[in-house]
Amino acid sequence: MRILSLFYIIFIATLLAFIAFLYISIEEFEKKIIKNIQNVILTNTSYFADNIISTIKKEVGNKNLYEALKNNPQLRSKLESKIQMVVTTSFRYIYMLYRDKNGRYRYLLDGSLSDKGFFDSKLDVNVKEWDKVYVTKKTNVFFQSGIDNLWITTLKPYIVNDEIQGVLAIDFSTQLLDNFSKILNPIKEMFLYIFLAIIFLFSIVLYQIVIHLKTKKEIIIDPLTRTYNRIFLRDKIEKLDVYDYDLAMLDLDHFKKINDTFGHKAGDLILENFAMLVKRNLRDKDFIIRFGGEEFLILLYKGKNKNINSKKILERIKKAVEEYDFIYEGKTLKITVSIGLVKDLYKYANIKEAIKIADKRLYDAKYSGRNIIIDYDISYDALPKNNQIDIEKVKLAIDNNRVICHFQPIVNLDTKKVIKYEALVRIIDENGNLIYPNSFLDSIEGTNIYRDMTKKLLEIVLNKIRTKNVSISINLNLSDLIDNSIYKILYDELSQNKIYAKFLTIELLEYEKALNKQLLSKRIDEIKSFGVKIALDDFGSGYSNFSIFEVFPIDIIKIDGSLIKNIDVSNTSYGIVEAIVKLAINLKMDIIGEFIHNEVVFSRLKELKLKYGQGYYLGKPLETI
Amino acid sequence: MKKFIVLTLFISSLLGSAVEIEKGIYKTILKALFPTKKVIKVWSDDPSKKDLFESIPGIKVVNEKKIADILMLFNTLNVQRNSNQMIFANGYLILQRNKGVVVGGFYWQKGRPNLIFIKNRLEKVGIVLPTNLQKYIEDIK
Repeated sequence: MRILSLFYIIFIATLLAFIAFLYISIEEFEKKIIKNIQNVILTNTSYFADNIISTIKKEVGNKNLYEALKNNPQLRSKLESKIQMVVTTSFRYIYMLYRDKNGRYRYLLDGSLSDKGFFDSKLDVNVKEWDKVYVTKKTNVFFQSGIDNLWITTLKPYIVNDEIQGVLAIDFSTQLLDNFSKILNPIKEMFLYIFLAIIFLFSIVLYQIVIHLKTKKEIIIDPLTRTYNRIFLRDKIEKLDVYDYDLAMLDLDHFKKINDTFGHKAGDLILENFAMLVKRNLRDKDFIIRFGGEEFLILLYKGKNKNINSKKILERIKKAVEEYDFIYEGKTLKITVSIGLVKDLYKYANIKEAIKIADKRLYDAKYSGRNIIIDYDISYDALPKNNQIDIEKVKLAIDNNRVICHFQPIVNLDTKKVIKYEALVRIIDENGNLIYPNSFLDSIEGTNIYRDMTKKLLEIVLNKIRTKNVSISINLNLSDLIDNSIYKILYDELSQNKIYAKFLTIELLEYEKALNKQLLSKRIDEIKSFGVKIALDDFGSGYSNFSIFEVFPIDIIKIDGSLIKNIDVSNTSYGIVEAIVKLAINLKMDIIGEFIHNEVVFSRLKELKLKYGQGYYLGKPLETI
Repeated sequence: MKKFIVLTLFISSLLGSAVEIEKGIYKTILKALFPTKKVIKVWSDDPSKKDLFESIPGIKVVNEKKIADILMLFNTLNVQRNSNQMIFANGYLILQRNKGVVVGGFYWQKGRPNLIFIKNRLEKVGIVLPTNLQKYIEDIK
């Protein structure tokens, strides 16, 4: 579009220049023609003037002209008749005046056919031009303006004995000029119309370009914050030399609380003012993009200058936000911002990867207490694994409702009846293929997308409980319960589905580091108060720690599949499982064996008096219950 | 159509400017002839000039010659003098034929505006013209 617009502009500009050139050429041509006409006129006028003066001199001789004419009306009449013979519509007035002692000009002779003046009567003329003739004693030619149809006036002195006795005037009319203009004007008008038409066309094209640019700008601008939006980011990414930028992801802390407490108008006001504060602290080449609700992305330009310290700019922004009083309906609201910063973008395959890392660092900033900037060096673990699908695809799947659960039955080994199901999350890609968690969980772990995925999972499971009236267990990491936002999602969902909460089991992965046991314990108690059961998943593998049973109120132990699957061939596995079963019985906990894949395994577990189990032998995960 | 509009506008502007020049000249003439009068009563033999005179502040056009301060003649070639009223010629021929009667004349000749005040007529009515108009005084017998 830009190239096309440029082409139009160049084409029209060339056309305009060409037409202007033609128009100017015609003007020049007209000027030249007029100049030539003037020369012809002046030659003729000079010829006529010489003849007339010669004729007068022949009649008057060396006598004083005034005296000779004053006393001889017949002579006047005779001379005027001779002059009249030269008068035409072009040589309109031919007359002779003299200057009296008062400097006024009076008629001596008038050969004009109309507007004829009487002898010795005054004619108000352009005294300045007429006096020049008396001073120089030479012919004077001047152009008239504002005088009825007159163009050129030639004044020739009548000199006798070196004394000017009169001045012969020949007024040439504009008739010839008018006739000439009549011929040229249509051509000039034609060019003028073409010129105007092109100007009009040019204006339309310009108007269209302006409208196009304006619309294009509106499309990429977030109407609330007047920052760029994700469309801009998508378009910009293709053209951006990522090496020239550092990238930061910003998220307003506890923004939801402000929205919930003061309403969305307050939230909007904060977003507007926040954007204003950020923009105030950015430079011309930086970009701010509204990435999500209260999430912003900043591209900080550094070019080839390694001395640019992006973190300093972000510190400035963080401080400005922290110190700013957001006034809403007379109330002063305070807010802070957490920031994840990624530098040296050349380390990443593309900007999407860098955004993911920034998002993770933002998450870490939140996790570390908020209102801080995290920019630690990237570690290998933080990089996406090769088999992981793109994070954007996961987000898209959540947005487009393409997250589903498969349900694997957990069976009473004595009765072989299903007592509950384990929900296993999957996503469906754009082509309808099923994507398993091992292809996306690592990728989204630690990002806000993980939080959204957890919320989605809870919604699906609680809905299934509600509609099918069955018990279902879900998997969470211990750290999920530490995470305020995930815990809040969980808590809110349970609060809204109190009567179904007792049908829910949360399987916690035991090898997760428990950072704050006190908080975890408190939160597990809160969850259990809804009737939710807590299971310890994959027990017996990784870094199993028996002290966990002292700290957390666990209801169920799930023995890790790696022990179960070899129970029929490995005495060690058999022994460990036997010990775990005894432990569970002593601690009065239910116990479930995973990975029961054949009848032999099933039989061995029954021998060990294992009460519940799951595995392909007992039932595969299915989309429906 | 466009040509017609352009031509009309052009002629109107020319006429407009000619009328304005004429109006300015008459204003100068009348104020010079009646410097102390607040309202000058003017009679004209050309009804089409009524609007022109009425558009000049301080000028009142009257229909009766008797009550007029000055008679403006545009069409009357031979003037008969019946009173001491001031008469002003508005044509070259009118002026030439009535030099002894009129106080002055204004006319267009060869596309140029011409103004003349007749000395002995001015003296007779005791008018002294301002300096800028002195150059138009003619001693015509």
